[in-house]
Amino acid sequence: MKPLSAFTDHAARIAVIAFHAFTQLVRMKVFYFLAFFALILIASNFFNLPQHEGPEAAGLDVLRAIKSWSLGAMTLFSVVLSIVATSLLLPKDVEDRTLYTILAKPVPRLDYLAGKLLGVLLLVFVSLAMMDALMTGILQIRTNMVMAEQMAFAEARGWPAEEVEALKRDILAQGPSASLQGAVFSVFLRASIIASMALLISTFSTSTLFTTIIAFLIYFIGHFQADARAALLSQEAGMSDGFFARAVTLLVALVLPDFQLFNVIDAVIEGQVIPLVILGKLTLIGLFYAVFYIIASWLVFAKKEF
Amino acid sequence: MTQGKRYAVLGLAILAAGGLRMPFERQLTDDLTEAGLLPPKLEQRTGEKIGQTFSAVSLGGLRTLVATFMNLRAFTFFTEQRWGDVGDTYELIVDLAPRTRYYWDTGSWHQAYNAASYFLYESELPPLRRKANWRASILRGRDFLESGIRNNPSDPVLKHRLGTLLSDPNKMAAFGEPTEAYEAAYEAYMAANRAENGHGYSKRFALYSLARVPGREKEALALLREIEAEGKPLPPTMYGLSYALRYHETPTRPIMDLVDSIFPSRKAAYNILGSQWLRTRDRFPVFGVAEAVALLESDMKIPPQDSVLKQDLAPPIDTNDYFAPKHK
Repeated sequence: MKPLSAFTDHAARIAVIAFHAFTQLVRMKVFYFLAFFALILIASNFFNLPQHEGPEAAGLDVLRAIKSWSLGAMTLFSVVLSIVATSLLLPKDVEDRTLYTILAKPVPRLDYLAGKLLGVLLLVFVSLAMMDALMTGILQIRTNMVMAEQMAFAEARGWPAEEVEALKRDILAQGPSASLQGAVFSVFLRASIIASMALLISTFSTSTLFTTIIAFLIYFIGHFQADARAALLSQEAGMSDGFFARAVTLLVALVLPDFQLFNVIDAVIEGQVIPLVILGKLTLIGLFYAVFYIIASWLVFAKKEF
Repeated sequence: MTQGKRYAVLGLAILAAGGLRMPFERQLTDDLTEAGLLPPKLEQRTGEKIGQTFSAVSLGGLRTLVATFMNLRAFTFFTEQRWGDVGDTYELIVDLAPRTRYYWDTGSWHQAYNAASYFLYESELPPLRRKANWRASILRGRDFLESGIRNNPSDPVLKHRLGTLLSDPNKMAAFGEPTEAYEAAYEAYMAANRAENGHGYSKRFALYSLARVPGREKEALALLREIEAEGKPLPPTMYGLSYALRYHETPTRPIMDLVDSIFPSRKAAYNILGSQWLRTRDRFPVFGVAEAVALLESDMKIPPQDSVLKQDLAPPIDTNDYFAPKHK
């Protein structure tokens, strides 16, 4: 019973800190961006260029636009929110002297860090869930409209049943789907990795600005980690890029997270399906990074003097 | 442990974790590529690779959004008739969103139809330059569709569009020999028909192309029989082809017997075959058509001076006519 009780104690402490961090961030009025997101969604509905395709394709580009505008905005918001909110947390606690009050109590520093990170992730999750609900709702309405229009067109032309079915499939592939929800979850996973990495940087950073800039740089370079890894492995297979290039690729491949894995979002917008197994593997990767970066942050933070 | 040692342990832990996750991430990248969720890898050295995939990779999650904005920009270029910019912008767009059929299709349409028409009718360039640009635009449109098909091998629409472009009589001169273009169009239509969500009508268009390839009439007739066996209602062109190909197969068969076995009525036969005789620019086969029209006119008591066979036939399309001063 003792280990279980210790676990629940830790969990309870982490939950309190997480909820506090979440409330702290909500009070910074971060949810105002939802109004902006709603505007983006409304704008994407009017995105309709003259098209050359037959009338059977009418409306499909609007569905695609709603998805690409929404998921693009979600990616931007979640990455900015994760980096900026995490970068702010520790310096703000030091500035408000809340940190001293918390650490003066029997709160393990690991619990403090995990709580803070979970607070940020909760904020990102809630934000994404709200944006997802808006996107899915509007996409469903537009899909129904396009479907009704196209079915009337097909009926008027007396299309055979199999071609009507193919048309239905084409329209539904652009509408709300489980894969689209999987893509939103991938956005969350990528944001989780970047937030946990920003937490690690903030444990040894000297300013919020430094943490933010470095986190954005890592986010950007992390998209090339897969290329660095592939180049490194091909060098081993005989290709050579010189010593300096090898050292850089080795460093990038070993140190940075592979953000390219989460580019599956783009394929989903284009109508591809994410198999559940692949989503599971992406979740495992996300968990691995989050846990690793929390432990790494604790390693630096454990004996840090304030 | 001193803070310095802690940083050293942290560095080692990051490297060790990197080594641990590398095989898993590599496998996952392969799985994602195989599932079509990531673009295929290019076997190049780091510098070249990063240069080429820079925009596509670094905009992770935003690629399709940027493609959408680029599409707006391309539309502005289109309204300003800046065809080179339209083509270059679509090259970039399809790099960003290679799985979106719409961009391949639209990029091709702008080049093969809009830019080509511009050089045909509106350009102020000298005739030779207009002709060269007209041809280059059509070929760039074809390239777009072929690249789109390579990137989306299961998509039937791009294949059908390629067939439409290759069998367009007004574009034929840009492709060289009409026979080769019709053969390529036939292949494209058949590939569209065989694709998972392929439309039945692609097979009909494949027949229209194959029927226009001299020497492949037997195959065309076999395909026609296959389509007839599906039992769907057929458009008039199919009746005309049915007659010409069957006549080619058995020229000794009595003509009116063949006509009565194919067409719903003699009046319909006369209208369809008369039209087929006059549509010289479409290059449809006319085996036995003149003979059938003559017999039908006699049967329907059409005065000789009103005969379809006495009407002037349009001469074959000569590309040079397009670029003669009268078209300016």
